[in-house]
Amino acid sequence: MPWKTILTVVTFAGLMLLPQAAPPLRNMKIFDPQTIPVVWQMPVPKPPPEPVATVRNVITIHQQAGLASSINEEPAATSVVDPTHQMDRFYASLLKGGVTRVLHYGDSPTTADLITADARALLQKQFGDAGSGFVLIARPWAWYGHRGVEMDASNWKIDVAGATALKDGLHGLGAASFRGSTGAVAHWTLKDTGHSKVEIAYLAQPDGGAFSMEADGTEIGSAETAGEQAPGYASFTFPPGSKNFTLRVTRGPVRLYGADFRKAGPGVVYSSLGINGANVTLLSHAMNGPHWAAELQHYRPDLVVVAFGTNESGFPTFVDGTWGKELKAAVRRIQAALPDVSILLMSPMDRGERKNNGEIGTVEAMPRLVDIESKVAAETGVAFFNTFQAMGGEGTMAKWYNGEPRLVGADFIHPMPAGARIVGELLYNALREGYNGYKLRQLKESETGARESEVESTDAPRTDPRLGSEASKQ
Amino acid sequence: MFFLYWPLARMRTLTLAVILFANYFFYARWSLTLLALIPAVSSIDYVLGLGLQYSENAIVRRMLVTASIAMNLGLLAFFKYMPFFLGNWADWTGKAAPAWNWALPISLSFYVFQALTYTIDLYRRDAKGTRSYLAHLAAVSFFPTILAGPITRVETLLDQFEKPKKLDAASGGRALFLIALGLVKKLLIADYLAGNLVNRVFDFPKLYTGAEVLIAVYAYAFELYYDFSGYTDIVVGSALLLGIKLPPNFNAPYIADNIADFWRRWHITLSNWLRDYLYFSLPGKRIKFFSYTNLVITMVLGGLWHGASWNFVVWGALHGVGLAGVRLWQSWRGTAKATGFWRYFYIFLTFHYVTFAWIFFRAPDFETAWSILQRIASVTISFANVSPELWIILGIGVLAHYMPKQWYEFSLSVYVRAPFYAQAAALAALAFGIQYVARTGAAPFIYQRF
Repeated sequence: MPWKTILTVVTFAGLMLLPQAAPPLRNMKIFDPQTIPVVWQMPVPKPPPEPVATVRNVITIHQQAGLASSINEEPAATSVVDPTHQMDRFYASLLKGGVTRVLHYGDSPTTADLITADARALLQKQFGDAGSGFVLIARPWAWYGHRGVEMDASNWKIDVAGATALKDGLHGLGAASFRGSTGAVAHWTLKDTGHSKVEIAYLAQPDGGAFSMEADGTEIGSAETAGEQAPGYASFTFPPGSKNFTLRVTRGPVRLYGADFRKAGPGVVYSSLGINGANVTLLSHAMNGPHWAAELQHYRPDLVVVAFGTNESGFPTFVDGTWGKELKAAVRRIQAALPDVSILLMSPMDRGERKNNGEIGTVEAMPRLVDIESKVAAETGVAFFNTFQAMGGEGTMAKWYNGEPRLVGADFIHPMPAGARIVGELLYNALREGYNGYKLRQLKESETGARESEVESTDAPRTDPRLGSEASKQ
Repeated sequence: MFFLYWPLARMRTLTLAVILFANYFFYARWSLTLLALIPAVSSIDYVLGLGLQYSENAIVRRMLVTASIAMNLGLLAFFKYMPFFLGNWADWTGKAAPAWNWALPISLSFYVFQALTYTIDLYRRDAKGTRSYLAHLAAVSFFPTILAGPITRVETLLDQFEKPKKLDAASGGRALFLIALGLVKKLLIADYLAGNLVNRVFDFPKLYTGAEVLIAVYAYAFELYYDFSGYTDIVVGSALLLGIKLPPNFNAPYIADNIADFWRRWHITLSNWLRDYLYFSLPGKRIKFFSYTNLVITMVLGGLWHGASWNFVVWGALHGVGLAGVRLWQSWRGTAKATGFWRYFYIFLTFHYVTFAWIFFRAPDFETAWSILQRIASVTISFANVSPELWIILGIGVLAHYMPKQWYEFSLSVYVRAPFYAQAAALAALAFGIQYVARTGAAPFIYQRF
């Protein structure tokens, strides 16, 4: 018998059990005898399937937890909070059936067109596809992307708002500007060949140069950017079926912002305007006010979504002291530029971190940050979508990380494509629910209006022979 | 197991029964349904093995070994490669792939390779085999090796099962030391590197600078080594506690000065298997050109053994081309070892070639592998996402790997000579240390999924 090894193992087991017996050592407990029966369980019990793999499941969880709303109750966690019907302008545009434009500002997920691409696809499926929308000239970050658009560019000097030596804040709609001289080139390849028009945004400047545009290798026009300093736009139409577009700087210098790809028909244009690593001060301070206002007015959005907070949540002092003020300032700037446009504050997703006990938990400041954001929405009279609660609230990223398939990356911040799809669907569902509510209200109002006019008409002298005949039928 | 095994150590049948019970107990904990699979195929191999032991007819022997190979590789093809074949077929034809609902039984790849050593060795008359059904079942699915190796020849285990069992104090101490060392490698180094940089970067490489991605790729090279060699240490230690010696699987692989040397140091039991049972079986040995192409074919198949994806094919092909290149070089310049600066230069070169290939091994798909290479090529430099703690753990990992072997032997001898209470106290201190330093819980072993 291997006595020495047996004694070693027995002594080791005794040491492991010591904290069970000695109360002062309780904190050193690393073995729980109650877990021994697990050894005999067959097969090994796996964690229960994570009930978060689909939007339907998320909604079911909310219903079970009593978080879902019924008519005339508090809004559900998955709904847009919009007590003043501020979103009606957006819903009205959808109902009207023309072109509805959405500008979605956000941080890294938006930069990669995660969430926004899924929301765009779903909205366009229901209301029509009016184009890919605004795409930057080149990739300021490797992470930048726009679903359905491949990009390649060279010889540009890229300045991102808030992260450049250029302090003029003139960074167009997308918070990034691209300076180039002769030889600078940008290529876009669109997966969808149904587009018919592209508009290049630039800064007109006294010494401005010129650029040309090609579609599938054929020049479709050129533009001069010389002029008094102001936002400028050059629009180019191209033959149906074109998919490869090239912009060449023919004479420098030029300062460009982006390309807006549009289709002829009605539908939704959903532009994702993500700035990697950004926080809300980008909108409240880094962008030149009058310039950004002019850009916003040019694109005539029906809805502006503001989705920041993830990066801020890592700084509790900022959350408690500055976050609300900066967010409010950003909203006020948009409201000043676009007084009749719907604005939606979209809270950040859950953000996980590894806690001291080894478990993945929500960063401590996140619930407070979301709470402040909802108050800012109420105070400024804009709509609010609580992404954090809609996806399950505290601890969601832990479930998403441990779930199968995994829905969030190992940083517990950035969603995997499947996770982004869930959030995109949650946003779309919330907008669709709001839209349906709007239609219902419109119907009720028109019925009430009709009834009132009926009452009025019965009281009033019958001057209209048609009303008289209708009334006489009843 | 340990306390049940040693009182019965003098009774061969009972010790084999204990081992067999443990083998199937651990397998059953993963899936009761699939528990039926291993005993069934092991039994068929046993019968085929009996035939190989008794038959002298060359045609019959060939048929028997062919049946064993077909059955074992058929299992792999069915469970492991069918989704890959169906997916590729769907891609090529443009039709939807039929649904495939069979889960890959855990450790099947290792089981199949280990099981095949028995019938092929018998066919080649490299082994005498066993008539004991119990011994065969116990050896072919020996529980310490079934999850992820070391791939051990069944004959090696059968030999040890036949001999009287003994565990002297030195071997017992060595076994406990190996288990402890394996836990440190796994929980304090491998899991830390994975959780705090590698997994994040391989999830979203585009979010990181080129320098950070490069550090993550280096970190993965060491994560993989410490994960797999840590697992191997635990397994070798566990088997040694039962008086069974398993073959070594690692020998400081990143000090290899060429790819051939690397495969003599990395996953040694797999490279031996591929050499003995695949490479030597390929046709054209006497034609020089085929010796090169056979190396590439062997390593491509070795890559596919790890996983059914094109990434593993590329990884295997890179190693195959590397091995062929080394052979070509040596046939031109001779096999003399380089010394001085050139030796260090070759070690540097080999490490980077191997690490480059790891990118394809680790990345979930080609797109991610390509993104990682693009990020490294971007030459963007910032280390904001690499914490000081990660630098320290990575530094410890690198230094420990290149530490002189004498230091390891010295630590081992100090532990082995220590009295039992000191050994136990050291283990307890380690357990508490792991509990408080590596709070993230243990991630599954990387090779377990192969």
